[in-house]
Amino acid sequence: MASLELKNVWKKYGDVVACQDVSWRCEDGEFFSLLGPSGCGKSSSMRMIAGLEEITDGDIFFGDRNVTKLPPRDRNVALVFENWALYPNMTVYDNIAFPLWVRDMPKDEIEKKVQWAAKFLDLSGILNYNVKGLSGGQQQRVSIGRAIVRQPEVLLMDEPISHLDASLRTRMREELESMLRKLGATTIYVTHDQVESMAMADRIAVMDKGLIQQIGTPKEIYSHPRNEFVAGFIGEPPMNFAKCDLVKMNGSLHLKSESFDIKLNQVESDKIAKYKGKPQVKIGIRPEDVSVCSASTKNSVGVKVEFVEVQGERNILTLALAAGEDFLVIAASDIKPEKGTSIHVLFDQNHLHIFEAENGNNLTF
Amino acid sequence: MEATKQESRISGGELANRERGRRAGKVVRFLAIIAFSIFILLPLIFMVTTSIKQPIEIRESGALLPTRGIYIINWVNAFITEPLGMFLRNSTLVAVISTFFVMLIAVPTSYSIVRFTTGGNALPSLILGGYVMPPIVVSIPIFMGIKSLGLANTTSGLIITHVILNVTIAVFLLDSFIRTVPRELEEAAWIDGYSRFDTLVKVVLPLIRPGLIATGIIVLILSWNEFLMALLLTYDPSAQTFPVGISRYQGQHGLQFGEMSAAALTGIIPIYILVFFFQRYVVAGLTRGGVKG
Repeated sequence: MASLELKNVWKKYGDVVACQDVSWRCEDGEFFSLLGPSGCGKSSSMRMIAGLEEITDGDIFFGDRNVTKLPPRDRNVALVFENWALYPNMTVYDNIAFPLWVRDMPKDEIEKKVQWAAKFLDLSGILNYNVKGLSGGQQQRVSIGRAIVRQPEVLLMDEPISHLDASLRTRMREELESMLRKLGATTIYVTHDQVESMAMADRIAVMDKGLIQQIGTPKEIYSHPRNEFVAGFIGEPPMNFAKCDLVKMNGSLHLKSESFDIKLNQVESDKIAKYKGKPQVKIGIRPEDVSVCSASTKNSVGVKVEFVEVQGERNILTLALAAGEDFLVIAASDIKPEKGTSIHVLFDQNHLHIFEAENGNNLTF
Repeated sequence: MEATKQESRISGGELANRERGRRAGKVVRFLAIIAFSIFILLPLIFMVTTSIKQPIEIRESGALLPTRGIYIINWVNAFITEPLGMFLRNSTLVAVISTFFVMLIAVPTSYSIVRFTTGGNALPSLILGGYVMPPIVVSIPIFMGIKSLGLANTTSGLIITHVILNVTIAVFLLDSFIRTVPRELEEAAWIDGYSRFDTLVKVVLPLIRPGLIATGIIVLILSWNEFLMALLLTYDPSAQTFPVGISRYQGQHGLQFGEMSAAALTGIIPIYILVFFFQRYVVAGLTRGGVKG
């Protein structure tokens, strides 16, 4: 195992820039996730680490070893593919043993390692089966077996469970995480599913448009998103946004729009005290940080109820602000306002984010 | 009660009707297949009967079946009047060796066109152009080229010519088979430690084995049946192949239909045996090549 570092890595396909000056470091044994929508550059990053894609500019290090120019087979990485890419017409044993016999390892040593991987992944009973007949979950474990059997320096996983159906996915997520923890491998986990990243990774790098948007622990990224993109991408249901102006009235800061007039508390005011930019901003607040109040009070926002989704232990209210923007609120199951009525909500200022309208930077970061 | 009985009887009768209909359908289908087969096989049957007729009868009547008894004289003469064995030997040599080289060239060509988009859009179009072009168009340059190499009237010259002619169709046929191999599988092999060459030989080729067999058989048959170039490039039996050899039965002693039929049958037997054993692959190769976009 080794640490992995990308230094100012660029990838261009003709005029299309897939990765722009990407730099990050994954520590030895860390579970690191690359997260972003399709086309954000996460897969390009991973393919460059694997050596499947040439690097336009920059360097990649495994530990102290610069692997930038090495072909895949000399890098000592393993990759678990999205569609598993098992060798058809081969047994489970042969698939797992493949990277070992390519390297001319003695037979008894191969046997020992394959048995170890099979035991680790609970495949011992089906080693002689052809991979074609296996279930999705089993195929996926075989592909992990093939990846871990030669103890690579870096283990890459490209959306390894997105092809499984929903119920199996949740179980595999848990299994995969405990498995990888036990293995202690330096793992790069590429996914577009924020739930997977949040649940499994030590740290997450959120990417968009070829740029790293933010790197941090799941908690950091959730609670302190660096910009509007990260804030909106993480969390389900997603964060609410509303346009407004930052204005100073009677010595205190207010967020004012057609829909609301919120006086900021001291903590928030201090955070953005230094801000000298344009007054046009966007507030962002997660659905769980909005509470429904019975009557209009100071700082409360009047909204119209558009839809109530009953989920059992909670209700998700879709509300419309006066300016027309939709707003989602997670409310307790006993809060069930009539559709079309007007109610009042309060934003929890401790979890209120203010983004610059122009570039999406989080001013409260 | 009465009504249900009535109903069940009707449906029973209907069932019998349906069964009868199905059987009738089967019979009609069977007869249609027989008729079609006879239509297709008629020339072949005619050739077989001609080869066992007495030579004088062939000139007298066009009857399908021999009327004056069965004679094997045509079969004996076919091997005496012309060196039929040598034609078959030359054909085998040319077909097998040219097919070997066609595959040797076409497999890496097709692979690199599919995987590395070698030649962009131009190369596949050019290859397709080569495939649809009538061979007569290139007959003169090929004749001059082979002659200047000093290979006129040699099997080697013919082998080279057949390789040139058949590489295009082979690349074309292999293309669709190589496309069925998922790219990830090759990438997995690269990461697992294979070079690109090893990946092609040890991962891709085993997966497209049916395609290789189909393409090989088709190219082999094309070479075996090729007439125009063989006629242009060879002028005595030492290098002539079977199709050219057949044409030699007309001439010296007039048209020897009986001998010609016997010789032709001798020549198609090896191909029929080959196709019989590999027809599954040949069909796969032809249909896949035909439906690709």
